[in-house]
Formats: sequence, C-alpha cells, structure tokens
Amino acid sequence: MIAIKRSNQFYNFVSIAGVLLLWQLVVSAGLFGKLVPSPVAVFKEFIDMLQNPIGGRSLFMHLWFSIKRVLTAFITAVVTGVPLGLFMGWNKKVDAIVKPVFELLKPIPPIAWIPLAILWFGIGETPKVFICFVGSFVPCVVNSYTGMRYVDPLLIDMTKTFGATRRQQFIDVGLPASLTAVFAGLQNALSLGWMCVLAAELVGAREGVGYIITLGMDTANPAMIIVGMLIIGAVGAAIAVIVRRIERIVCPWKRGITS
Amino acid sequence: MTDLKERRTKVEVKNLTKCYDDLLVLDDVSFEVKEGEFLCIVGPTGCGKTTFLNTLAKFIPATKGDIYVDGVPSNPMIHNLSFVFQEPSCIPWKTVEENIRLGLEIKKIPEQEIKTRVEKVINLVGLQNYRHYYPRQLSSSMEQRVVIARSFVMNPDLLLMDEPYGQLDVKLRYYLEDELIRLWKELNSTVLFVTHNIEEAVYLAERIIVLTPKPAKIKAEVIVDLPRPRDFTAPEFVKIREQVTELIRWW
Repeated sequence: MIAIKRSNQFYNFVSIAGVLLLWQLVVSAGLFGKLVPSPVAVFKEFIDMLQNPIGGRSLFMHLWFSIKRVLTAFITAVVTGVPLGLFMGWNKKVDAIVKPVFELLKPIPPIAWIPLAILWFGIGETPKVFICFVGSFVPCVVNSYTGMRYVDPLLIDMTKTFGATRRQQFIDVGLPASLTAVFAGLQNALSLGWMCVLAAELVGAREGVGYIITLGMDTANPAMIIVGMLIIGAVGAAIAVIVRRIERIVCPWKRGITS
Repeated sequence: MTDLKERRTKVEVKNLTKCYDDLLVLDDVSFEVKEGEFLCIVGPTGCGKTTFLNTLAKFIPATKGDIYVDGVPSNPMIHNLSFVFQEPSCIPWKTVEENIRLGLEIKKIPEQEIKTRVEKVINLVGLQNYRHYYPRQLSSSMEQRVVIARSFVMNPDLLLMDEPYGQLDVKLRYYLEDELIRLWKELNSTVLFVTHNIEEAVYLAERIIVLTPKPAKIKAEVIVDLPRPRDFTAPEFVKIREQVTELIRWW
C-alpha cells in the first residue's frame, strides 16, 4: 500500500511539474508574446500580492470575501435545496406541485440572473450571494431528488412489513439511501458556487478573487489574473476534499468504495 | 412437534383474488396456516407466486379477499408479518446488529427486550462475531442469515419467504435450509415459504400447497410427514417429490 501511495504521489508530482515545464517552454519560445506570463513571473506576482495590499485589502481578505459569499450561498442552498429535493422525491404531491416550476427555472444559467439580482438587491453583498445561491441550489435539489427516487423499493417494502410509518420509512431508509447522491450534489453545488462567485464579483465588486481578476485585466497584468484563477482552483479543491471527508464520516458504510 | 390437525389456526387466507385490469392472477385462493407450521407453496414458473406473497404481505392491494391473523384482518401495525425477499435486502448503511434490530425499533419494543432478543437470534445464526460488520463485508450466505435473523427476531405471526435461496449455489442452499429448519424449530415460528424448487419444498415443508398455472388457484395439498433430518434419496422422499412434480406438470 505504501509503495502504491508513494507511486501515486510521484505521478501527481510529475503531472504538475510537467504542466509547469510545458508552460515555461511555451513562454520561453515566445509563442504568445507577453500575453502569457511564465510560472516564475506568476509566482513572483503571488509573493508580491501576499506582501502588498490589492485595492486596499490583503490577498487573504479578498479570499475571505469570496469564501464568505460562496459558503453563505452554499449553506443556504443546502438548507433549502436538499430538503426540497428529498421531499419532491419522497412525496408525489410535493413533486407534482414543485417540479413544473423547478423544471422551468433549472435550465436558466445562474449568470442570467445577474441583471435581475442587481435590480432587486443593488450592488452590495446580497446580489453576489444570490447568484452563488442560484448556482448551488439547482444541484442540491436535483441530486437529492434523484437520490430519493432511486431508493431501493425492496428496502421500503421490508420496513412496511414491520409496520413502519411513512415517517419511519423516510428516516430509516429514504434519507440514508439518498445520502450518496446528496453528497455528489454538494460537490457540484460547491463547484458551481465558485463559478458563480467569480461571475458575480466581475460585476462591480470592490473585493474578492473576482475583483483581483478584473483588476488584473484592467491593469493589463496577466500574472495577477492567473494568480486569481489558481487561488480559485486551489480553494475549490480544498473545500471539495473537506466535503469528501464529511461524507466519509456521515456515510461510514461506503468507506471501502470511497477510500 | 404436535400433529398439524391438533394445532390451532394461526393464519386464514380467505378468497384472495388479484386482478391487473383484465388479467386475473390469483383466483379465489383460500387456505389456513396452523400455528408453528412450515408451509411451502409451489407452482409453475410465472403462475403468480410472488404476486401471491406480495398480496399476502399487503405490498399490493388484493382485488378481493383478505388475510386474517388470529381471526383479525392482518395489519402490519399490529401483527408481525416478516418477509424474506428473493433479493438481498440487508440495509447497507446498518451493521449486522443494527439490521437485526431494525424491526424491533420500528415496533418500539423496549431497549432491554431488544437486546435480549437480538442477542439470542444473533447467536442462533452464528453471527455474534460479526455484529459490527456492514453487509458489504459479509459473504452472500452471511448476508442472507442476517435477513433471516432480522425476520425471526420479530417472533413473527407469519414469516413469508419468497424463494430466499433461489440465487445461491446448491451447497450453500442446503446449509441455509438446515439452518432455517433449526431456527424454525427453536423459535416455533409459522413459516410460509414460496419456491419453484420441488426438492426444497419437500425437504422443508410439513405441508405443500400446489398452485395451478396463471390464474393461480390451489390445485392440491400434500402433507409431508417425513422425519427430520430428511434424506433426499429416501424412497418416501422421492415418492413425495414425484407426486408434487406430477401435480405441477401443466404441459
């Protein structure tokens, strides 16, 4: 096992080093002129951003603003979307009432809500959180709904023979059986939340990683843009790892598959 | 065990009929199950055996007729009608012990009694060292033993079994059949076992009900008055097997 782990880490290292090397070679060959900075230039920019404020705030403050927006939206989406999806999947009447409206709203890209969000909530925090919420809400509902719809009817029948009430069937079988799909939805919701925060911060934000990227564009500083993009990627991956860890704690019976 | 005729009636199935639109699947089926009886139902493939059990368990509503337990129309809220399915039905997110406890918890049995009953059954099926294992960590025979333990722990008024060993290999089936007989004797449960395997029915049952091809009706009842453990090669065993085979033959 140790040999395999070492081997995987080695391949991970080779993969990242390979991309950096290729990137450096492309830049050194001058294929894109000054439009693509070298990895070294990006790293230098990153150090510079750590040491000097950007738009009056430190890099960590900008990062904190983005995380706060995503997490606020994500938690709101989970609290509202997961129960809604579960009940839609569990109860045919709830499904019949909610599904037509949801199906209509589902295909609308979250970015399309930006103009309305600004009209409704102005240009403060609320519209940005709202856009992230719209992005996160849909996968929360869809995956919870799907998870509940695919609960093995055999297990429900089994609890029925014991005289389980609908509530007991939901708690003992429906809910835990849906958890795997729910967690897959949470991963998607986080990814979409991060996509949306960037889009939301590109419009009139004074803080956040999206603002850093916009500032990089306005000041013709591609290295700053790439630092902003890499920060989004790194934080998104870190949060995804945390969600996976939570899943392993909440669904210990799946450990053999997920580990 | 006392003679079947001397035992009191535990379950009565009266005029059970099931139609799917114009398709008649069960046609006015009536019979009794005695207390502590091991009754097997056999019939040709596709005759409606599973529909019959599902109707008995009230997973699907009967078109006509009902099932009575101790003279009262059966109701899962007040009676114990445990069901062992053909497919594995362990709950994957519950350990062996949690799976066995499930029905008792649903029935809101006091914790102390749950512990006593689970302990007894888990020892009877030999899973005491696996109580904290998840189903995915068990072999298929162990998983089926968990399901059977989960049913027996309820002290069911009627244990319905739908070809529970249909997907297992012969060796494993023989082993689990013996274990089932041991549990049935130990706990004095009333069992209704559906199978298409005539040899299995003769090996297990005290009485066999033979169904006709669809729509299923009762064609015959065969008393299996053989000593246990039964010998597949004994002339009496072979004779009853051939008698049931002849009854089931529809071609």
